[in-house]
Amino acid sequence: MSIKYWKQIVDSLLSLMAGFFVGGIIIWLAGFDPLLFYQGLLIGAFGNLYYFMTTLSYAAPLMLTGLSFAIAARASLFNVGAEGQSYLGALAAVSIGAFLTLPNLAHQLLIIVFAFVLGGLLGGLAGWLKVSRGVNEVVSTIMLNYLSLYVSNYLFTYWLYDPMRAYKTKNIETTAILPFVMPGTDLSLSLFLAVLASFFIYILLWKTPFGYEIRAVGLNPTAASYGGINVRRSMVLSMFISGGVAALAGAFEVMGRFHCMDTELTYIKGYGFDGIAVSLIGRNHPIAIIPASILFAMLKTGVQAVQRYTSVGGRTGVPLELGLAVQGVIIVFVALPSIIDMIRRMR
Amino acid sequence: MSPEQIVHMKGIRKIYPDGTIALRGVDFSVKEGEIHGLLGENGAGKTTLMNILYGLIPPTSGEIYLRGEKVEINSPREAMEMGIGMVHQHFMLIPTFSALDNIILGREPLSGPLTIDRRSARKEIEALMEETGLKVDLDALVENLPVGIQQRIEILKMLYKKAEILILDEPTAVLTPIEVRELFSFLRKMKESGKTIIFITHKLKEVKAIADRVTVLRRGEVIGVRDAKDVEIPELARMMVGRDIKMKIEKRPPSLGEEVLIVKDLWVKDDRGRDAVRGLSFSVRAGEIFGIAGVEGNGQSELVEAICGLRKVDRGSVILCGVDATSMNPIKLYSLGLGHIPEDRHKWGIILDFSVEENSIVGVHRNKKFLNSIGLMKGGEICKWADNIVKSFNVEVLSLKTPARSLSGGNQQKLIVGRELSKNPRVVIASQPTRGLDVAATEYIRDLLLRMRDEGRAILLVSADLDEVMSLSDRMAVMYEGRFTGIVDPEKVSEEQVGMMMGGISIGGSYEH
Repeated sequence: MSIKYWKQIVDSLLSLMAGFFVGGIIIWLAGFDPLLFYQGLLIGAFGNLYYFMTTLSYAAPLMLTGLSFAIAARASLFNVGAEGQSYLGALAAVSIGAFLTLPNLAHQLLIIVFAFVLGGLLGGLAGWLKVSRGVNEVVSTIMLNYLSLYVSNYLFTYWLYDPMRAYKTKNIETTAILPFVMPGTDLSLSLFLAVLASFFIYILLWKTPFGYEIRAVGLNPTAASYGGINVRRSMVLSMFISGGVAALAGAFEVMGRFHCMDTELTYIKGYGFDGIAVSLIGRNHPIAIIPASILFAMLKTGVQAVQRYTSVGGRTGVPLELGLAVQGVIIVFVALPSIIDMIRRMR
Repeated sequence: MSPEQIVHMKGIRKIYPDGTIALRGVDFSVKEGEIHGLLGENGAGKTTLMNILYGLIPPTSGEIYLRGEKVEINSPREAMEMGIGMVHQHFMLIPTFSALDNIILGREPLSGPLTIDRRSARKEIEALMEETGLKVDLDALVENLPVGIQQRIEILKMLYKKAEILILDEPTAVLTPIEVRELFSFLRKMKESGKTIIFITHKLKEVKAIADRVTVLRRGEVIGVRDAKDVEIPELARMMVGRDIKMKIEKRPPSLGEEVLIVKDLWVKDDRGRDAVRGLSFSVRAGEIFGIAGVEGNGQSELVEAICGLRKVDRGSVILCGVDATSMNPIKLYSLGLGHIPEDRHKWGIILDFSVEENSIVGVHRNKKFLNSIGLMKGGEICKWADNIVKSFNVEVLSLKTPARSLSGGNQQKLIVGRELSKNPRVVIASQPTRGLDVAATEYIRDLLLRMRDEGRAILLVSADLDEVMSLSDRMAVMYEGRFTGIVDPEKVSEEQVGMMMGGISIGGSYEH
């Protein structure tokens, strides 16, 4: 590993510490014990096997949406559409998982392919609009988020719903399920698939001419075209892959955790947007996104336990809202180095 | 100093922080009410001198007198207050504002504490338009107006701000011939109304057509001041490009091979859709350097981009090594035998945040020898390739993994040149190959080009550095407004002829092999 990477890791760790420090000050100003707060946070996230598995189970979708953002960011595109793309993944998982009968493995594989293509087409559409009509991808992906939300919402409510229970779709067949790693916890094979995807994307971006082209386009499009690279094609393809990976997040949540979806999609809301933060924490690097997503998931689960843990001797603990505020502060701090990088590059 | 001298700049020197000497003690004076031409080729210091007068950049030393009084001009605002206005080559207008709003920007008349009195402004501007003949639709948005009209708005803006001395930097560069005629008639009218005009140009005919007097600059020095009606064009040409000492480069006579690059009746448009290359035809043979000189912006960039597959060819064809290569993808061109040293290294040639290694394979990154059987890039092969370039072309780098950003300009250029020559090209297009480089790197790259020629490659050298073209080329052409004003033998051509060609006057006969 080169010096550049080490320097970035040190930078990130320093900003993480700064984030914890400032977060601690906020807790202290609110009249609570910061040490107790962080203790609660860590115990809530890693305190026992069940907590730990829960944290990891959240890390999986975050890893995928983080990867999704990173792939587009490497082509200097800002894909804010992982949210909507992940809905389409869930849609694919429910429709194929619950309404098709297929043997094990083939069933899961078909869902994965279908979800990837569906999400990819949504991302690719934004990419195509950008290169052919000059539509800013931030605007188009935000609008497409609504499109896919309401289309999924409609299909879940009127076509894929379960007549036996309210607001839920039918359960997927057992052949479509990703097995749990440990029964009784929420952690399914999706985590391993997400880690696999991280390594796969790393190889794609750094070891193939295709990824070389995407990165060249992201850093200097004119020099890329001088090198004979089809800039438009690279942009559209990076958006396609970005959308496909985001869709896997939604599909894996259905296949691994819920085995169905609620008609309003609240089960998976927010992963797409959180993925932006995860990617920024991981400097848009597929491998660094693995620890970044675990850190993010840790804050997510840990903060739920904090209120309970900090209420001592009849005194109420740190309210959840305050915990979430501190979580936000820490995330902003860790993401800061790459936010600064991005701003510098834009100028 | 006579009282009629409205501007007098005395002993102006300008040395940039990087050591470039732009002006070496220039004395420049303009009489009240005249149109004064400021003539010179690229880098002569014309624009620098006028930027100093306009307060944009401070001189290193020297004094400025306005109407006999010594002044210090520290900003364009101060210049404006003293009645000096300048219209730059690139207009400084706000595209989404109306013409009127653009003109009054910076001197908005107020009718209340928060409201602009557009009515009185309009009256004043309409009177100005009447007086000068510069007619503009004041309510039109600037973005919808053609360049010629935008220029009028720029001039009106200066007049509205009470400019008495108007500096125009290459005002005809963006205009059509009809617009040029119109501009000249406005300038004459403004002169009649007592304005003083300084007109920066490299076009010889324009000096004769519009100026009363002309000052010729060359390499930061004043070569002479003449009355435009007394001076002949050949003399101006000689003054503009006259050589101090000709750079002497030892070179063997060329051993010519077949024509490996043939350009036939090529038409190319620039970014704004105007014809930048107008029906050029030429060919380059193996073993020769064919140089293209000329003031920048006469279509050289578009020509090179079109040949190298980076810009659409409008009409005509490019034949590379016997194959029709018109508008072909660069990767295919490279595999046919093209090497391209681009004019702007940071824009085209190098990816600053890529490592030296990654930069060394731009354009050959899909080459089979860098890929293994399942399509992954072979790190070892790429490393060897990059190492070979770095060693053979003396690129000073700490490691192949360092980003290109950390290399000096000279080393970045050597990396690009090394990469292009390692493609083993039969045709090398070198565009401004030594721009911005120090003496050692410049010499190195020029030697390299000669060595490539002696190895039997064809070299097309495009450079704004006239010395470079004249000393390296076996044949040279001068480009002016998208055409060649002549193809000559650099050994035999006189300065006067080169100056005339650069200034837009064709000389008879063209030199073929």
